[in-house]
Amino acid sequence: MEVATRLTWMQEKKLQNYFGEKQFSLLYKASVHGFSTDRLLQICSNQGPTLTVIYSEDQIVGAYMQKDYGEGNYLIAVFVFQETTITECKVGPFKLPMLFDKNVDGNLEVSIHLKEKTMYFNKNAMEKLGLSQIYISFQDCEVFRCEDLLDERKMSGLTELKESLLCAIRNYIPYGGLVHKVRILLLGPVGAGKSSFFNSVRSIFRGHVTNQALVGSDPTGTSEKVNLKCLLLINFITHSIHFNLQTYFIKDGKDNNTLPFILCDTMGLSEKEGLDMDDIPYILEGTTISVLYHIHPCMNCIGNHTVCPLLKDRIHCVAFVFSANSVGQLSHEMVEKIKRIRRELIKSDVVHVVLLTHVDTLDLITKGDLIDVYKCVPVKLQAVHRKLGFPLSDIFVVSNYTSEWELEPVIDVLILSALKEMLRAADDFLENFPLEKTGRCV
Amino acid sequence: MAVTTTLTWNEERSFQKLLGNVSLRLLYKSSVHGRSTVEMQNRCRCQGPIVTVIYHSNSIFGVFTLGHSSDMSESFTEPNASFFFSLQKNETMEMKTVVLNSTVTFYRNNLTFCFSSYYNQKLSLNFEESRIYIPRIFEEELIVKSHAKSTFLECEVFRVEGIKDEAGYINRITRAIQHRNSLLADVRAYSPYADLVSEIRILLLGPVGSGKSSFFNSVKSIFQGHLTRQAIVGSDVTSITEQYRIYSIKDGKNGQSLPFMLCDSMGLDEKEGVGLCVDDIPHILKGCVPDRYEFSPQKPITPKHPTFITSPSLKDRIHCVAYVFDINSMDNLSSKMVAKLKQIQKEVINCGVAQVALLTKVNNCNEVLQDNFLKMNKAMISQSQIQNVNKILGIPLSRILVVDNYASEREMDPVKDILILSALKQMFRATDDFLEDLPLE
Repeated sequence: MEVATRLTWMQEKKLQNYFGEKQFSLLYKASVHGFSTDRLLQICSNQGPTLTVIYSEDQIVGAYMQKDYGEGNYLIAVFVFQETTITECKVGPFKLPMLFDKNVDGNLEVSIHLKEKTMYFNKNAMEKLGLSQIYISFQDCEVFRCEDLLDERKMSGLTELKESLLCAIRNYIPYGGLVHKVRILLLGPVGAGKSSFFNSVRSIFRGHVTNQALVGSDPTGTSEKVNLKCLLLINFITHSIHFNLQTYFIKDGKDNNTLPFILCDTMGLSEKEGLDMDDIPYILEGTTISVLYHIHPCMNCIGNHTVCPLLKDRIHCVAFVFSANSVGQLSHEMVEKIKRIRRELIKSDVVHVVLLTHVDTLDLITKGDLIDVYKCVPVKLQAVHRKLGFPLSDIFVVSNYTSEWELEPVIDVLILSALKEMLRAADDFLENFPLEKTGRCV
Repeated sequence: MAVTTTLTWNEERSFQKLLGNVSLRLLYKSSVHGRSTVEMQNRCRCQGPIVTVIYHSNSIFGVFTLGHSSDMSESFTEPNASFFFSLQKNETMEMKTVVLNSTVTFYRNNLTFCFSSYYNQKLSLNFEESRIYIPRIFEEELIVKSHAKSTFLECEVFRVEGIKDEAGYINRITRAIQHRNSLLADVRAYSPYADLVSEIRILLLGPVGSGKSSFFNSVKSIFQGHLTRQAIVGSDVTSITEQYRIYSIKDGKNGQSLPFMLCDSMGLDEKEGVGLCVDDIPHILKGCVPDRYEFSPQKPITPKHPTFITSPSLKDRIHCVAYVFDINSMDNLSSKMVAKLKQIQKEVINCGVAQVALLTKVNNCNEVLQDNFLKMNKAMISQSQIQNVNKILGIPLSRILVVDNYASEREMDPVKDILILSALKQMFRATDDFLEDLPLE
């Protein structure tokens, strides 16, 4: 028989969060190891904090112990988990193994009797827990060891991983040396976290949280404001191009060298206003970016956007940015718009990936879950896959820096992993790019 | 003392990967639970598959045993295939593995693994004195150094979670990587029959969404060592691929080109005037259609097209056609699609080109091939989808290849690689047959 918990993912997650971002390791399962207190204590003693869970027909009841089943008297947190609510009451203090003693004198508030498959409560505990009777007969009993999801060991592992990702990105050379820096375009609905992603990337390379791109939750999109200066200038000359693109070089905090990639932030997409669909081919070809270069030296050059765009000025990879919170509720118009853009990208062979932001704000997801986040958000990934048709392996989950003051290795690793994949995608684009065109334009 | 493993997170992750993307749950740790075989047995029996990890001065090594032998009550009287591995605690983090048949005994605080094929050699741990006796075979195979009075620092036992299909599991995970690497070497070393061409061209043909472009991406991923997405894929009602592409694949970033090219076409649609136009196919086969040609479903290419290749040579031709199908849709191909396929096949036969069938999106990669990876499983061959392809297109069973493309994963998987590389190898063989049959002029 397999040693696997009866808790559903949702139930396990709820309990893990309730007891402070814990990870549970199943040690004992009565139906496998035997309904015997001796067996339970043999397996579960000296394992640190434990959680005991019993399963009756319609209820999950349990006890959380902060200490070993060792010497000394301690309080035990007893809880009833019904549907989605957890009711808790503290009992004791008493010696922890006594929880499994037969309640001889009837003065213990709770006791679990494995042989009889029954859990007893005294009246007081029964009332506090909102139970209807003083005993519950159960079918199975499981004991878990509780560890911190992000303990020191994992933190140092994450830091190591972060360093190796940073090193790989700093030393990245675009495919065949065709360009010096790859340009990554961020596209997505208003408020999806495009500028926040840029800020987060910048923060990681700076070594502390920064906010260069203005972010906010303005429904019309904040990036427009960032680009206001450019917008006015361009509109002054020509109405055909709405200048709504902001490119950011990212400097490496350590030696002040620029990094081998450029993030291009756009105005958010929205059903009515926002980024103009007609601009996308120009943005991809890099026309508007060359316009930006011409702003200062000579105002009259701005109209001259028909010059053959250079490979280095092109977009080499597009990242669609969606918020995990709202990707399920994208309007029909928005979905159509995105699919249209995608067609456009496919037509011009531009490799693209998806960034799913704001995962940290999803229900039940805690910082600790970010360490293995793809296992926690399968539903969201499927939603993006089904609704918009992106392959699952092209979807990357990230959490942006929004309210944090300090960098967190677990967040850094997610962002850097996504960035590394984008650089690889850019390589795929460059490898695919027709040679004759690179010959002409470089 | 906290009950946490002494493994670093990185080491833990590499062990999880080594054992086939499993999870590890610490059950016993000698420094916390006591250096005693009784304690160890109590905590670890009836826990399913387990891995015992032993920390030695500058290496860590582990023993992985499967479910049926994990009832550590008395002894594992029957010799079991156990998977031994070691990890060097230095810069290289080198890993070595070996599979040995072993029996396990617990006697007077001694844990002993005896190897049936190596008489008198055993791995033995004395818990009382923290002594460890490392057999010669370990020094040879796992580069674990030892001396007469070696001690071990710590011993931990984990339950291994996430193992599917226990039968032959150890064999599979250990042989898979080896077999994958040898296939990889075979594909790299391939040279077309009599060096008639330097690179063979394999055309991928099949319904919309059957995984033609994904197959190219998957092949490229294997040679790059990580997932790639050069051909844009995804799901949509009509074909994502609208261009004819002749993909050459490099062996690693900026590496040498491999001796084959994959030619990706637009998906076929049962309706007329949608998807790849059947009249384009003869031109593609002859090598008249240039790379990056934009297909037009209503209008086939004509010799008047500006980039039409008028006198293609042998190297420009298609040498092998792979009919690509989603294995799950094989049983309900519409009669229109079947008719279209038969029409296409006539063209292919006219050109005399080699043919194979490539079935993608198979659900369980592990059940496709026999344990030695040399042949498809009987159960797989008897599946209706395979039989159907055999019936509809008359392709012999040995030329029906089953793969699972990289589409939803984030990590490379040796078993997937084996299927894909085996498919390529069969395509090469079919191509060689075709090249050999070519009239000499």
